[in-house]
Amino acid sequence: MPDPPAPDPPAPEPTTTDDPTLAASARDPGPGDPPAFLRLHPLTPVAYAGRVIGLVVAIVVFGHLEQSTGTRGGSSSGTTTLVILAALLALTLARGTVAYLTTAYRLEPSEFRVDSGLFRRQSKRVRLNRLQSVDVLQPLTARVLGLAELRLSTAGTEKASVRVRYVSHPIAQELRAELLGRSAGAGPGVAEAPERALYSVPPGQLVGAVLLELVSWRLLLVLAGPILAVVSTEASSGPHPAATGLGVGLFLYGLIVVAHFIWRRVTALWDFTVAESPDGVRIRRGLLATSAQTVPFDRIQALRLHQPLLFRPFGWVTVRMNVAGYVGRREAGSTVLVPVAPRDFAEWLLSRVAGVDVVHLPLTGPPRRARFRAPVWWRAQAVADNDEIFVSHHGVFSRTIDVVPHQRTQSVGLSAGPWQRALGLATVQLDSTRGPVRIRARFRDAGEARALLDLQVDRGAQARRRASGRPGQRTDVAPNLGPGNGLPVDGPPVNGPPGDRPTPGTRPLS
Amino acid sequence: MTTPFAPPAGTEWVRVSRRMRTMRRTTLLGPALILVGASAGLLAAASAVGGAVLGLVGLVALGAGWAAIGRNWRSWGYAERADDLLVTHGALFKKLTVVPYGRMQLVDVEAGPFERLFGVVTVKLHTAAATTDARVAGLLPADALALRDRLTALGEAHAAGL
Repeated sequence: MPDPPAPDPPAPEPTTTDDPTLAASARDPGPGDPPAFLRLHPLTPVAYAGRVIGLVVAIVVFGHLEQSTGTRGGSSSGTTTLVILAALLALTLARGTVAYLTTAYRLEPSEFRVDSGLFRRQSKRVRLNRLQSVDVLQPLTARVLGLAELRLSTAGTEKASVRVRYVSHPIAQELRAELLGRSAGAGPGVAEAPERALYSVPPGQLVGAVLLELVSWRLLLVLAGPILAVVSTEASSGPHPAATGLGVGLFLYGLIVVAHFIWRRVTALWDFTVAESPDGVRIRRGLLATSAQTVPFDRIQALRLHQPLLFRPFGWVTVRMNVAGYVGRREAGSTVLVPVAPRDFAEWLLSRVAGVDVVHLPLTGPPRRARFRAPVWWRAQAVADNDEIFVSHHGVFSRTIDVVPHQRTQSVGLSAGPWQRALGLATVQLDSTRGPVRIRARFRDAGEARALLDLQVDRGAQARRRASGRPGQRTDVAPNLGPGNGLPVDGPPVNGPPGDRPTPGTRPLS
Repeated sequence: MTTPFAPPAGTEWVRVSRRMRTMRRTTLLGPALILVGASAGLLAAASAVGGAVLGLVGLVALGAGWAAIGRNWRSWGYAERADDLLVTHGALFKKLTVVPYGRMQLVDVEAGPFERLFGVVTVKLHTAAATTDARVAGLLPADALALRDRLTALGEAHAAGL
C-alpha cells in the first residue's frame, strides 16, 4: 500500500469545545486509563472538498486547452461556472472545517465514542463487543494527503455505521488494530495483527470478469440504438434522419454508460486482495480510492459462492458475504469477499471461513414430483448440513452455493403455497442478516421439510450454547485458524492452490 | 393428524381473538356489501333480472370472502417453548416461523386505527434478519402486553451475540 508522506499527525489534545457535557467528560478521566479526546487531522477540510477541487482542476485545465487552441466561446458562461464552482468549494471547505472543529473521538475501555455537530451535538458510541467490521477508506484526495476515513460498522440500520473523517493513515491503522483487538477481548495496546495474503485478483482476470458480468439483457439497450439507426435508414418509406439521429445518440449514450460502469467496477475492485489475520478477513481494493476492510471471522453471517454462466468456461466464481454492519447503499460493495477467483480456491476459502469443509457434504435434493412445481431447476436444488453449517445449492445456468453456520442463523421458517401443498412439498428458510445471501431448502417433501426445520432449530440452539460457553477471545474468533479441524493449516500461497486442498469438481447434484 | 405446520409435540397453538375475525369481516365485507347492494339496486332499475343476478353473484362472492376470512383467522397462532417462540399464519400460503428467544432484537406491539377500534393488537418480533416474518395479529391488548413482557424477559435471559 503506497503511503504518501503524511503531514504532522494531529496533536492528541483534549477538545476545547464549549459544549458543557463534552468538556465535563473530557475532564473526567476514566478509571485507570484516562483516554484523551482526539481531534481530526487539520487537513480534513481539504479532503472534504476533494471532489470539488478535482472538478476545478479539470475545468481550469480544460479551459486553458480551449484558450490555447483559440476555440473558447463567450467568457460570460465561463465566469458563471467559476462563480458556481467557487461557491461549491467554499461550501465543502466550510463543511470540512466545521467537522474538523467540532469532532472529537476517544477510545474508551469498552466503547468508541465520536462527538460531533455544530448546532445539534451528537455523541455516537460503538460498543466494542458489538463491532461488526472496521474499514479504513482512502478517497483519492485523502490518499494524496495521507489521510484516511475510519468506518466502524455495527449491526443495525443504515445509520449504524460510525465514521471518523479524516485522520492520518497511520493513526487510522493503529486505531483499527486497537479496536479489533479490544473487540476480540485482547487488552489495550495491541499491535497490528500480522496478515497473510490468500489471493490477489490479477488485472486480466478482473477486467475479464467485469466484461463478462456486463453481458446481460441490459446490453440489448445499447444495441437498440444501432438497430433503430439501421432500420430507419433502410426503411422502405425512405430514410428518417431524425430517427437515425436518435439511434446514433442512444448508441453513444449507451456506450458512455457502459464505459462508465466498466471504469467504476474496475477501479473499485482493482488489486483486490483477500488476506487473513487473527483479527479476521482483510480485504484491500481500489485503484484511485482505496479501501481496506477487516471483518472478524465470527462476524461473517453467511456466504455465497456464485458462478454466472459465462464464468463457467474459465472456472471462475465470485464469493459474497452477509455482514450485519454492511446494510447501507454505501456499504453495498463491501459484501464482496472475492469478485473473481478460480473455483477451487473459492471453495477452499469458503471452507476456511466457515471453519468446516462445506464442499464435500452429502447433498439431498427435492423429490421427483417437485418437477411439477419447478420443471427444470428442481434438479439443481440440493441441501446438506452437519453440526456446524447448513449448505444450499441451486441454479441451473448460474450456480450458487449458500452457506450459513448454525450459530449465525437468526430464525428458521417453513412455508408452502397452494401449489406446493397440493404436491406435498414445502420450503425451509434460514434467515440471515441483510445481505446478498439467502438460504433456502426449496420444494422438499413436506414431512421431511418439517423434520429439517426441527433439526435446524435444534442445531442452532446447540451451536449457540456451545458459543456462549466460550467468550470472545482472540484465539476463539478464528477457530479455523488452528490445527485439528481437518483443514490445511498452511493455506494457499498467494494465487496458488493449497497443497492438500480438497479435490475440485466433485459436486454432486441432487 | 400430522401436517408439516402442526404445533410441536406436546404443545397446542395459542389461537388469536375472535375480534380479529369480526374486524376483518366488518372492515372488508361491510363496504363490499354496500357496493354490491348499491350496484345491484341501480341495475335492477333498468333490468330486474340483471339486478338479481348481480346481487346473487355478489352475495356468493361475499360468502366466499366470509369463509376465507374465517379460515385465515383460524390459521393464526403461536406457541411458546423453552428456547423459542413458534408463530404460524396463512391458510392458502402457510407459514411457520421459529424464533429463538436469544435472537430477538426487539418486540413491537402495534395497533392500527381499525385494530384500536376493535380492541386488538399485533405483536411483532424483530431479529437481526430482515426476512424474519414473525408476527401475531389479533391478540387482546392485555394478552399481547403479557406476551411481550415474557418474551422480553426470556430474550434477556437467552441473549446471544450476533
